[in-house]
Amino acid sequence: MDATAGRGYRTTRDFVREIGAMVILTRQTIVSALRPPYSYGPELVSQSVFAIRLCWFPMVLAGVAFTYGPAGIQAAGFLDLFGALDRLGGLFALTVIREFAPLVCAIVIAGVAGTAICADLGARKIREELDALRVLGVDPIKSLVVPRFVSLMALTGLFNIFALLFGTFGGVLVTLTHGAPLGPFFATYFNNATTPELAASLIKTTIFGAMIAIICCHKGMTASGGPEGVGRAVNQAVVLAFLGIGAVDYVFTQTLLATHPELTMAR
Amino acid sequence: MRVSAALRTTPVGSLGQAWKFCWRVMWSVYRGRVFQFSAEALRQAGILLVGSAIIVLGLVFILGLECGIEGAYGARAVGAISASGAITALCDLREVIPYAFGYMMAAKVSTGYVAELGSMRISEEIDALDVMGLDSVVYLGATRLLGTWLVLPFIYAIAVTVGIAASYLAVVIEIGQVSAGGYLQLFWMFQTPVDFLYSGIKGMAMATFVVLVGVYYGYHATGGPVGVGRATAKSMIANIVGIHLIGMLGTQIFWGFNPRAPIGG
Repeated sequence: MDATAGRGYRTTRDFVREIGAMVILTRQTIVSALRPPYSYGPELVSQSVFAIRLCWFPMVLAGVAFTYGPAGIQAAGFLDLFGALDRLGGLFALTVIREFAPLVCAIVIAGVAGTAICADLGARKIREELDALRVLGVDPIKSLVVPRFVSLMALTGLFNIFALLFGTFGGVLVTLTHGAPLGPFFATYFNNATTPELAASLIKTTIFGAMIAIICCHKGMTASGGPEGVGRAVNQAVVLAFLGIGAVDYVFTQTLLATHPELTMAR
Repeated sequence: MRVSAALRTTPVGSLGQAWKFCWRVMWSVYRGRVFQFSAEALRQAGILLVGSAIIVLGLVFILGLECGIEGAYGARAVGAISASGAITALCDLREVIPYAFGYMMAAKVSTGYVAELGSMRISEEIDALDVMGLDSVVYLGATRLLGTWLVLPFIYAIAVTVGIAASYLAVVIEIGQVSAGGYLQLFWMFQTPVDFLYSGIKGMAMATFVVLVGVYYGYHATGGPVGVGRATAKSMIANIVGIHLIGMLGTQIFWGFNPRAPIGG
């Protein structure tokens, strides 16, 4: 019993320490990003191109699949029983903008770009390149973490728009397979879509992007323990990122809906 | 021979390679060749149960909460807050629990297998197994698949319970605009054991897929310690694409032609 309690205590302590280290890394990254010189431009561009190249296909597929199933088929089947399929557009504007597009976007960015970043930094750590950078007087946070942080933040927001577009495309597909006209779908869609909703969606995904970047960079830069270490770091990074996405999503959505009652009106 | 080597490097060729490997793993489970290592399979099942189950359930719980608040606010928007149960029933059982289960199995279990088997491959332990005359595909791959199949139906059933409980918490306790009885009546009306079976098939298909992906990428890792990390990252791309394809096809097959809701004739 004592051994179990001791293990539980150690696990909790290590977890809290890890979270603390990530918060410190966040602070260092933001300070380093704002303080001149702004020497991370080229790395920022190459990281963004790298992430876009990796993510675009899973993004499109996941965006269509995740809305075609839950929001599309289930909701359309439900509404069709009432003969109210034209309301699908309004439902889509609410669920896709508020929930599904940000979630799918974050899952894909964490699973595809985040793991790649973590594996890359972990490899550099194992090959002692990070130590070499420090010896040369190059700050690894400014040269490696800041560009990844900024590019993931921007890209998650950008990909949110794509997830939205392809999610709506999933709704169009469902409407067409039910043999219904598209006019009412778009009419209720644009009636129900509001600017605060879209802005909240973008803010949410930007927070997701920042969190994913910090978790993956931290796990990569602290990888240790030989060949298994990098793989294990990537494993832990993606688990933490997924749990973090869920937690942030819940708190953010709940706060948004509770403080903005005008968002929850159907028009 | 040269042609086949060239073919193997194309995407279609490598997909075929992966399919051949996964078929070999599944075949050795089906033919019972794995039972010579049944102790190892049980050990893998135990690791899954102790190490991963709680984390998988954690994501299911969080997404179940979200289903609850979305359902409650969505139903309130059309002035029918008492119908939240209908929305969460469809959302939880049919879609969100299988997806959450698949995501976390991919993140925790599948990438864990890549890291583990990849480092075994890099340190030439797999070659050592082959030299000793053990069939490494059966010993490493098939035992993991069998171990997964042994415990996952139970973990999935617990996950459904956890997701349902989370939605109940969110709708009835947290938002609190619908009574427990009213919520549960519609909630249970909108699902049947057949829906649970379909949902389980979807979840199991995703879990089987991600385990096979993890074993494949780990078994074929190359390029030193760095290669293990790269293989782990690459396996997540395959996982995400596969999970969403399975989810979309499953929904279309099971509920696309018959919404299975207790409305109308």
